[in-house]
Amino acid sequence: MGRVEGAPEQGLMTAREIAVYLLGSCPSLEHFDAFMFGSTLHGIGQDIDILIVGPGGNLLAQLKKELQYAGSSLPFHILYMQPSEELHTQFVAKERCIPLAHLAASC
Amino acid sequence: MNWQIKYALAAFAKERQSSAEHVGGDLIRIMTQDRPDVLAAITSVETVDQATAARYREQVEGLDFLCGYRAECVWEGEAIQYLEENCIGWGSFGTLSSAALDGNANSAPHKVYKFSDRLLRQYGRVEKVDREFDRIHRITLRSGATFRIGMIADYEPTANEVRSMWDRFGPVDIVWNINPNGTPQPEANEAGRELGCEVMKWEELKELLSRA
Repeated sequence: MGRVEGAPEQGLMTAREIAVYLLGSCPSLEHFDAFMFGSTLHGIGQDIDILIVGPGGNLLAQLKKELQYAGSSLPFHILYMQPSEELHTQFVAKERCIPLAHLAASC
Repeated sequence: MNWQIKYALAAFAKERQSSAEHVGGDLIRIMTQDRPDVLAAITSVETVDQATAARYREQVEGLDFLCGYRAECVWEGEAIQYLEENCIGWGSFGTLSSAALDGNANSAPHKVYKFSDRLLRQYGRVEKVDREFDRIHRITLRSGATFRIGMIADYEPTANEVRSMWDRFGPVDIVWNINPNGTPQPEANEAGRELGCEVMKWEELKELLSRA
């Protein structure tokens, strides 16, 4: 998982660094399945695609607040799905989404 | 250098046809062979209102384009009107990249909503279009009927997107999935029914407007 190419000197975060940062700053993520997909995985992202799968209601509202704060200086593009929607669309498989926890644990 | 400028420059560094340099503050200059240079402001705001648009125009002489870098950036109708009247393009980073290549940066509208906006305005039964936000249109038909229409561009709109639109922009009569290849999820349709609106594609919307 590479750094955003063309600007390493500018301190843009790698996919792994983003995953570590999100898992550390958004405690509500423990109630959801969280993934990264798209170009940031390959180091060429103009934004950072995140998929969140899980319940709605208050838990989701709290998570959105945490992600909004965490994303104040990052170009997140966040897609929220209910488990049934992910099942219908097979989004994780089709878009080759990687769990944030796997990214955070990668070298 | 702020975060959105770093990302914008990093993205242009991957481009083959255009290059970009930081001018200062929120400003970058984009150079493309055989096309006019583009002076663009890259803003991190979540909502561009008329005051924000006016501030950029007044502070930046020769501004060609105002870019909302955040994916969720919303443009208010008055801001859109102000920018278009002053020959300043507006929209997402993708819109800016395309406009620099096309050489029309100071007249380009947000490309996500460009064709659906035009489709409504050119539909014969529509008498008046009031663009409240980039994605929210209140239309009046020649019959006198009115509809408040919200546009969702995603390939597979979800229940959350329908509810978020309702929460952010207020009640709409119709949620229009403007992606021609899109398929709203059953959960999105159900969310629309619960809220009191219908989620549909253009063919269904056209049929509805033809009967209203």
